[in-house]
Amino acid sequence: MAAAEARGREFPVGMKVLVVDDDPTCLLVLKRMLLDCRYDVTTCPQATRALTMLRENRRGFDVIISDVHMPDMDGFRLLELVGLEMDLPVIMMSADSRTDIVMKGIKHGACDYLIKPVRMEELKNIWQHVVRKKINENKDHEHSGSLDDTDRNRPTNNDNEYASSANDGGDGSWKSQKKKREKEDDETDLENGDPSSTSKKPRVVWSVELHQQFVNAVNHLGIDKAVPKKILELMNVPGLTRENVASHLQKFRLYLKRIAQHHAGIPHPFVAPASSAKVAPLGGLEFQALAASGQIPPQALAALQDELLGRPTSSLALPGRDQSSLRLAAIKGNKPHGEREITFGQPIYKCQNNTYGAFSQSSPAVGGLPSFAAWPNNKLGMTDSPSTLGNVGNSQNSNMLLHELQQQPDTLLSGTLHNIDVKPSGVVMPSQSLNAFPASEGISPNQNPLIIPSQSPSFLASIPPSMKHEPLLGSPSPSTSLLGGLDMVNQASTSQPLISSHGANLPGLKNRSSNAMPSPGISNFQSGNIPYVVNQNAIGVSSRPPGVLKTESTDSLSRSYGYIGGNTSVDSGLLSSQSKNPQYGLLRSQNDVSGSWSPSQDFDSFGNSLGQGHPGSTSSNFQSSTLGKLPDQGRGRNHGFVGKGTCIPSRFAVDEVESPTNNLSHSIGNSGDIVNPDIFGFSGQM
Amino acid sequence: MSAANQLAALIANMFATGLLDDQFQQLQMLQDPSAPNFVSEVVTLFCQDGERIIGELAKQLDKPSVDFDRVDAFVHQLKGSSASVGALKVKNTCIQFCELCQQKSKDGCLKTLETVRINFYELRGKFQTMLQLERQVNGFPPNN
Repeated sequence: MAAAEARGREFPVGMKVLVVDDDPTCLLVLKRMLLDCRYDVTTCPQATRALTMLRENRRGFDVIISDVHMPDMDGFRLLELVGLEMDLPVIMMSADSRTDIVMKGIKHGACDYLIKPVRMEELKNIWQHVVRKKINENKDHEHSGSLDDTDRNRPTNNDNEYASSANDGGDGSWKSQKKKREKEDDETDLENGDPSSTSKKPRVVWSVELHQQFVNAVNHLGIDKAVPKKILELMNVPGLTRENVASHLQKFRLYLKRIAQHHAGIPHPFVAPASSAKVAPLGGLEFQALAASGQIPPQALAALQDELLGRPTSSLALPGRDQSSLRLAAIKGNKPHGEREITFGQPIYKCQNNTYGAFSQSSPAVGGLPSFAAWPNNKLGMTDSPSTLGNVGNSQNSNMLLHELQQQPDTLLSGTLHNIDVKPSGVVMPSQSLNAFPASEGISPNQNPLIIPSQSPSFLASIPPSMKHEPLLGSPSPSTSLLGGLDMVNQASTSQPLISSHGANLPGLKNRSSNAMPSPGISNFQSGNIPYVVNQNAIGVSSRPPGVLKTESTDSLSRSYGYIGGNTSVDSGLLSSQSKNPQYGLLRSQNDVSGSWSPSQDFDSFGNSLGQGHPGSTSSNFQSSTLGKLPDQGRGRNHGFVGKGTCIPSRFAVDEVESPTNNLSHSIGNSGDIVNPDIFGFSGQM
Repeated sequence: MSAANQLAALIANMFATGLLDDQFQQLQMLQDPSAPNFVSEVVTLFCQDGERIIGELAKQLDKPSVDFDRVDAFVHQLKGSSASVGALKVKNTCIQFCELCQQKSKDGCLKTLETVRINFYELRGKFQTMLQLERQVNGFPPNN
């Protein structure tokens, strides 16, 4: 309760409540009652708009009260999303008092369920939920990472949750809540806390240097033997606790797993596909962590990559690989809510500029090179290991992808890996501008065909000077398509492209609402909706001609979408960068460089799905353009995700990739952006 | 009889006949100097919205193939808003309506829709009178 804390002693007076209900009568009555309780009330008749508001201002509210039956979004869906992305207490409310519905609410993580007419007494007590949640979070956080086995359990846990959610939306939901909690715990570790902050738990900012030390330690020990304690010792960083390391390690493992899966899933020349084709999006966490502060020195990256590359997916000592596959699978398709599963996308990431969304797609192809480097500050969806691939090494991914597409020899790939620079800012792209990918040349190390550096200034700024190739960033001109005409989106976050181009049929593509597009879009797509590709950031779009995605995209956008020649797996995860980015300290570019897109989970599948399932949108469009399409706001923002730098996986497909303002206008309320409510996967079906 | 007295009598009557329940009293208590028109706002809103929902319900039930889930959603919405203003009779009819939706009985739904409509308009009429009286009490000439 930041707001509450700020206000101090008078809590719960002034507690910030957001009420979402399409019934104006109820909204008015509730507002009056809440005001009478001396709360700070904001009402919103549309769930989608509410979600945007929340994404824009995560800390602006302490508790949400939401109706169950709403036309533009199912209340349970909103509940899940809020829980996942913002982890705020949500109270459900309805005239429907049937036990099964109430049960559903509880399972989806509602703190409480009020039956209309809501009475004053009930409202007076809602502050308890806020406090309780805070306490629980703190407690969990303190306990988190206390034991190695806890860490071990976590990934498994998470995987299970994913899997379970995938298989059973209803029952899984509570697990996802749990997972959320765990994630929250993990995240808190990474959250950036002011050194002088008075927060109880000191938060570790996983800066690039720190992460590199971590990676070095892990490499030294060997991924199999890397236990937090030893890592801690090796790192020898004063003030770092075993818990911090444990939590970070967990995320890292997830990331690796994801990469591995990508490898497995993609018929990659470099990697023998072993596991399911579906690649689970790498937890953006890893990426985030990596990208947290910016760039990871190439050597660290290379080292990491080597390690990863060196091990076939199976060999990656990642626990629960199967699980991750499971997750992927789960994400891919079954879950209507993509967010949770995050296979790619982890929960909606808020990417500031999803500009880079483009690359996510390729990431799968990349073969999971953990391009840690690639996390641009944005909170590329990394919050939760979003398409890590996408983010991290966009360059890598893209390179990989390109390779794959172009069937380049492995050498190219490995070459690239080492050269990948970690670039801050959501753009996955390595410093290279899109142009760098001339097909003929293959992929140059720093080229990230997929990633199109958004022009956002922030992104540009973050591009390290070391970039070998001319920085793509900021190059407004559409890059020459790498693969058969893939245009990388130079502009700002792309992500949307895939979806938006179709006239917004693509679910979740709407960038506009930027927030709205959570990476889930990707996951949602599994169900046939737009695949991750759609993710706002249109990452890794297939080689379709760019520009398809965005209907409104500016010229630059349309041009720049890069695709990956064949597989368009869009990583929606990549796109969303923000959602939990803050915690990881991801670099957040001002202009919302889109954070990481979760590498399209299933690279293959997306490619395929792109073609299909997109509501109204031709998947093909996505693919091609999305890759690089960064919604062009001129700022290099990923439209796909959320305007203000929050990338929401394309689930929410904002239709306009670029919004006139940097902040992707979350015009959710107008539902103009939401072309197809189903995109969100909500359509009321969980 | 003064407008104020008429108003009081009207409201009392509405309670007595089961048109309103104590939720309405809660609304009345919520009205205070900081929200002087609260009750009339809510009532107006309810009347408008209720009419819209009933129209939607009629439309849904008019289809050759009725989507009962949608009907159910609308009914719940009406139920919610009527509950929120204390419109007891309408709310109870909505509860019945829900049952019939569950049973997917088109006929039953149509019949109940009629009942809802009747009850709603009855209530709305009285609400309108109430609003007029209130205006008078507040010194405004009666509306039409």
